[in-house]
Amino acid sequence: MTEQEIIEKTNRVFEESFEIEPARLIPEAHIFTDLGLDSLDIVDLIVALQSSFGVKIRTDEKVREIRTLGDVYHFIAAIKNGEQAE
Amino acid sequence: MNLKRVVITGIGVVSPFGPGLEPLMLGLKGGQNTTRYMEGWDQYTGLQSLVGAPVENLDEKRIPRLKRRSMGRMSIFAAYAADEALLDAGITLGSENLLRVGCVIGSSMGSAKSINDAFETMLPDKDLSRLNSTMFFQCMSHTAAVNTAQYLGLVGTVMAPAAACASALHSIGTAYDLIRLGRQDLVLCGGAEELHPTVTGSFDILFATSTKYNDSPGQTPRPFDRDRDGLVCGEGCGLLVLEEYERAVKRGARIYGEVTGFSTTASGLHVSQSNRDSMVVCMQQALSEAAVSVKEIDYINAHATATIQGDMEEAEAVRELFGDKVPISSLKGNIGHTLGASGAIELAATLKMMEEGVIYPTLNLENIAQDCEGIQHVMEPVKKVVRTILKNGFAFGGINAAIVCRSL
Repeated sequence: MTEQEIIEKTNRVFEESFEIEPARLIPEAHIFTDLGLDSLDIVDLIVALQSSFGVKIRTDEKVREIRTLGDVYHFIAAIKNGEQAE
Repeated sequence: MNLKRVVITGIGVVSPFGPGLEPLMLGLKGGQNTTRYMEGWDQYTGLQSLVGAPVENLDEKRIPRLKRRSMGRMSIFAAYAADEALLDAGITLGSENLLRVGCVIGSSMGSAKSINDAFETMLPDKDLSRLNSTMFFQCMSHTAAVNTAQYLGLVGTVMAPAAACASALHSIGTAYDLIRLGRQDLVLCGGAEELHPTVTGSFDILFATSTKYNDSPGQTPRPFDRDRDGLVCGEGCGLLVLEEYERAVKRGARIYGEVTGFSTTASGLHVSQSNRDSMVVCMQQALSEAAVSVKEIDYINAHATATIQGDMEEAEAVRELFGDKVPISSLKGNIGHTLGASGAIELAATLKMMEEGVIYPTLNLENIAQDCEGIQHVMEPVKKVVRTILKNGFAFGGINAAIVCRSL
């Protein structure tokens, strides 16, 4: 999966699940303060990302380190690249 | 202890005629029926009733996402009705002491679609990880009350009486008590419910639904009629603003009527069958609390859902108390049975009938059933000065509820 594909798929999650306009979806956007998500939304973000990317991340401790949209891209990329390496 | 007087100063409705009290009253005035053939319901094996009275044309995105995400369909209805009711009452929450403002909204259960979706998501693989965060808030029994309170930022008493089809009348009765006792000054109260094949199915397996009119949905339901064959589920929400009388007068509010009597009883006999004797006691107690005689009731808004047994029991109970002296009609021929919302939607329409001096008839009542004779059925619109009304509501579990209101 290319970086661009990860970005597009992740952005689609934010557009569809959280009704955020595409123009606001920039890598440095803070998912809480800039994009307006809260603790409940993070649960839904995990569910949506698991469904979109076919990954299991609910118990991954690194989820807690996510702050920006760019962090989400990197987090997913690391998992997908790890899958490829395996 | 001096009990406070309680008046109704605002109405909000979402009915199968659409959002708003006005479409409901226009639909009643026009003698329209909202029953539809429900596409896709034939996929449910064993479901015989394929008709319903759905709400259409609702723009749920009007409600901000953070408030909406925990709302199932019934809570969306409730938010719509709440906005209308408060606007109608001329209430600006920003200028209220919110600790004195309550919210009491009942329903038979949580959001039926959400409950169904949750189990469909979880059960095939017994996998909870696909459940989203707000599903529970849509499924819980007090979902409509909680979501409405959250939507409006209410911090007073929030309650959700659950009594199946009597839920709305229980809510209004509870709100009436809260204000009478001085616990709250203003309460948004009523009921909400949503249509889903599994909801219709719960009546269908008990042979309580209409099954003969799938090809002619406009002909059903038929309360009190010879050819009635069961209820048709509808959906929606009815909310009333109940307010302490002195306060309402002081602020110059428009007063639809005063709640003067409420009663609820149980039959203690059968979990699904209604019972005339306990209905009679319920109505008597409501009249007694209102300090009115049967002669002073100008109109009865019936529960009558068009089930064989329920209509007969209500007709017999009304006949025993009122004979054929008081006009009675059921609005379910127009809007179906909106279950936990029905008491409030129908009371709202009754208050408007009282205001307009007209009684709308039981739609689809063409030939009075022999077992429903002896009461004064309204079969055409009747112009009449209506000062005092009785609203009935009955429910599974042998639950009865009755409210008396009068104009001021």
